[in-house]
Amino acid sequence: MWKETREREFGNIRPNLFSSRISKSRVSSIRLSNYKEIVSSHRGSVNSLQVDLTEGRYLLAGASDATVAVYDIERATDYDGGGLIAKHKSLFVVNKQHEHGHKYAISSAIWYPIDTGLFVTGSYDHHINVWDTNTTHVVMDFKMPGKVYRAAMSSIARSHMLIAAGTEDVQVRLCDIASGAFAHTLSGHRDGVMSLEWSTSSEYVLKSSSTAQSSSAKARAPQKKLANGNALKPHAVCRISSQVKTAKQRSHPGMLSSHDRATGHYGVVTGLKVTEDGMYLLSAGSDSRLRLWDVESGCNTLVNFETARLQSSKAIQMAVSQDSSLAFVPCMTTAKAFDIWSGQTKCTFRGHYENVNCCWYDALNQELYTGGNDRQILVWSPSKSISDEVDEWRKEQAATVDQDNWSD
Amino acid sequence: MDDERAKSVVLPLIEKATNSTAPDVDPRLLKAIKSTVRYSDSDLRLAAQTLMYLMKRDHSQVRYLALLIIDELFMRSKLFRNLVVENLDQLLSLSVGFRRNHPLPAPASVASALRSKAIELLEKWNESFGIHYRQLRLGYDYLKNTLRFQFPNLQANAARVQQERREREMRTKEILLKKFESFRTKFSSIKEEIQSNIDEIDECLEILRKKDEDMPLASTDDEDMEEFRNSELRQIRLDSLREGEKVQESSENKVVFDALREFYKVLVTKHLAAVQEWISVLIRVEVADLRFRDSALKDLIDIRNLIQSTKRKCEESGCDLPKIANAEEEEDIWEDGTVEAFEKGKSGPSCSENKDGPAASTSNNMMGAGCSNNSSNGNERRNSQNNGSKSNPLRSKLLTEAPMLNWGSFLDTWGSNRDVLANQRGLDLEGHWGRVDYDAVIPADKIAELNVRASVYEEEPVEIQPCRAPLRKGELCQRRDLKICPFHGLIIPRDDEGKPINENSVTEETAAGKQPEESTPDVENDLVDQLLKQAVKNFRERDREEVKKRELDKQALKRAKLAKVREHNEAVLRDAAIASTSRSSHIGEDVETGNGSRSCAKSKKQTLASMLKKKETSKDRLAQRLLNSRARDATIRQLTVAEEANYREAFPNQW
Repeated sequence: MWKETREREFGNIRPNLFSSRISKSRVSSIRLSNYKEIVSSHRGSVNSLQVDLTEGRYLLAGASDATVAVYDIERATDYDGGGLIAKHKSLFVVNKQHEHGHKYAISSAIWYPIDTGLFVTGSYDHHINVWDTNTTHVVMDFKMPGKVYRAAMSSIARSHMLIAAGTEDVQVRLCDIASGAFAHTLSGHRDGVMSLEWSTSSEYVLKSSSTAQSSSAKARAPQKKLANGNALKPHAVCRISSQVKTAKQRSHPGMLSSHDRATGHYGVVTGLKVTEDGMYLLSAGSDSRLRLWDVESGCNTLVNFETARLQSSKAIQMAVSQDSSLAFVPCMTTAKAFDIWSGQTKCTFRGHYENVNCCWYDALNQELYTGGNDRQILVWSPSKSISDEVDEWRKEQAATVDQDNWSD
Repeated sequence: MDDERAKSVVLPLIEKATNSTAPDVDPRLLKAIKSTVRYSDSDLRLAAQTLMYLMKRDHSQVRYLALLIIDELFMRSKLFRNLVVENLDQLLSLSVGFRRNHPLPAPASVASALRSKAIELLEKWNESFGIHYRQLRLGYDYLKNTLRFQFPNLQANAARVQQERREREMRTKEILLKKFESFRTKFSSIKEEIQSNIDEIDECLEILRKKDEDMPLASTDDEDMEEFRNSELRQIRLDSLREGEKVQESSENKVVFDALREFYKVLVTKHLAAVQEWISVLIRVEVADLRFRDSALKDLIDIRNLIQSTKRKCEESGCDLPKIANAEEEEDIWEDGTVEAFEKGKSGPSCSENKDGPAASTSNNMMGAGCSNNSSNGNERRNSQNNGSKSNPLRSKLLTEAPMLNWGSFLDTWGSNRDVLANQRGLDLEGHWGRVDYDAVIPADKIAELNVRASVYEEEPVEIQPCRAPLRKGELCQRRDLKICPFHGLIIPRDDEGKPINENSVTEETAAGKQPEESTPDVENDLVDQLLKQAVKNFRERDREEVKKRELDKQALKRAKLAKVREHNEAVLRDAAIASTSRSSHIGEDVETGNGSRSCAKSKKQTLASMLKKKETSKDRLAQRLLNSRARDATIRQLTVAEEANYREAFPNQW
């Protein structure tokens, strides 16, 4: 590390390369953090986690007991164990007792991408609420036709304020915060939409995936919607411009498997994640398989991800590291980090006692947040730097010492 | 290479330690494991792996012992902690069995012990190392808050008790401090008050003394000084003089006396008590201002001494002081009384003896006092008896002869031969207010019959000698039997090493059957000795031969038995080979298991497998036949193959 620092000072390596190297090395050493602890104020499984995109400081968590909480991940509220453990308590909690609170489980909670003044929650009680963070009041309420599985806002949108909502209904609805109405209804799926993602390269591209019809014996590939109306694309791309054209290209169900062979998922697509650069789309299915799609061509990149059992009943939230080298995927009670390009398991994060539902990677601190059915939000962080360790050593001297203790 | 060596040491140790039915790990094995693992990280890693592997064993006993070893290492090694904590959820699910699809294996009793132990250990670990391991905190939190397991809360309870004690101490300290503060503010005023009180008393005494001096009493002093020759008389005289000096209360000095009494009362009840309390407060309190404390303490002690001297002066002055001085003592007296009454119950006989001779008890009070107060103490009673003996030598002589009796209800009518009145309620006439029929009498001999003295037979304690035969351990047999030790035969006197002291006599009795010749003259002794030795030798040789023979017999028997078993096995196998192929396997198994069980029974040693074994019923046997593992496996295999084929056909394009 010191060598690299010197090289950067000499100008041998460029600053951004230096920082990416550092962050890469840090990411590779991620483990369960002992010095940072989020005191979960949820009584149910944590379904959604997001750190705000502007400051990278506030963690928004939605749980199935209809609570939303915001945690400050930079500043701890109190310390434990002689200053060794920083505890982050929630800044505020919105629960069922709140006058506009959700009645049922919250499936997704997302920040308004432009600032932290607003956040959006989608719930199984058929509502999408837009909240004012400072007053914790509902400023807008969208009534959806069914349970909301996933809500998403484009992180790069400059010209629209649309919330894409995937519900039990076959149609994806775009809710406009500016007008308070549904801007568009995108049809194309033949079943409820389990997960959706906005493209990170183009603000008008939305990717969504559907649940398979459980009644049908044949599992199907993720539904696809194309705006351009050109050749069949195996992944869901929906391009919306101000003059939206939604075209449906649906092949015969029986032909599906022969057309896009080795492409789709057998079963429900439970999670989608676009890489930071917007070039690739990672999808997870209830067939316990991960696939990586090239967004531009719509082709499966055929990366063979190591087999890992994935939760099949619930939507999962995956995370991708900033340089798109690692994908963090909840695999039952563990979370796993996969190398995106080779598909190998880099490391396994064991810590949850029940299924993990969601991951969020905080690129700023190279930390990973995971939420699970055991109501915990765990922080996974790289081991501390040397100066921190010295501090810690001092603290440890003060507190009880974790040393070998052989009496005989 | 290194691994290989480690494998040869740690693995078998751990295997051996966990392969036991004991509720604890063999301490020697444990120590060996610890000392092996202590100096080598690779060993430690290996141990961690092995232990985790053992935790997966389908036997609660193995898991339990493995868990105990894990705990030992966990509390000691940091590396081991790191290794274990990585898989803590797995360890917990294997030891606590909280996952519904992975319950703890049989046997159930050990499984429940395992669970409670695991919970207890988790609490302990969390207490000591939770701060360093998030996983520990998580596991603890999950079990406690999500699954609502009951933790023993040992540490917390201890801490709470500690906390309570600390709080109590704090409170007392605070109270002391408060008292001290108030004392500091009031100190001067109190001092003045006491001083004034003492002054007043002094004045009163002064006044009285002045009046004294007016009286013409002093003349007696030198009047007949020479008359008192011996010191005793002189003492008496001095006493009487002092008595005389004391001022008698009269009508004219009554006011002064009253005042004096008042002051005295205030001084003793209020000031003295207060001063004592202040002193104790000052001694106990912890303040920064030590100088003030010390000086105040000194002052207070002075004041106390002053008060006490004044008190003494008052008492000496002879005024008829009120009884407040010994209000506490009065209580003591009362307590003494109760104790006395209680003791009377115990020491009945001596009292009754006193009652026996009414003359004696009236004649010397000393005796009575001794009896009532110190009767429980034999020595003192002896003393009092000695005192009494001066007055009545006959009585004392009788007393020394008199037997000691335990107390009993028969003592109530000891020696009396009166008839006793009775009414329709029996003998209870105490509460009878009605007419008394003087004819209804129970004669004295009946009463005596009713009051027959009962005594419990008490065996005289006999010291039973230990056997003291030398044991293989190197110790001596400590069994105490009256005559014959079941292991070492007749009990004979032995020396410190366990050798018989007079071997001759014993061997004589047992072997040769000769009479112990105690009365034989010394001349014959040599011959007899020789004879004895010869006899012993003969006897021993015979013994040895017998033993050898027995062993040979045993071996032969064993060989024969083994041969028989082998023959039987072979026959069975032959039969099996002849029989149809599907059944042959069962038969072979049956025989094997039969043999196994027989050998088990023979050895009678409890094994892990035996813990799991249930009593076999016919249903079980049927089930075993039907659900034979091979048959089951075969079916499962077939089914899975079919399934796979189906699947492959269904999704031919999946890779």
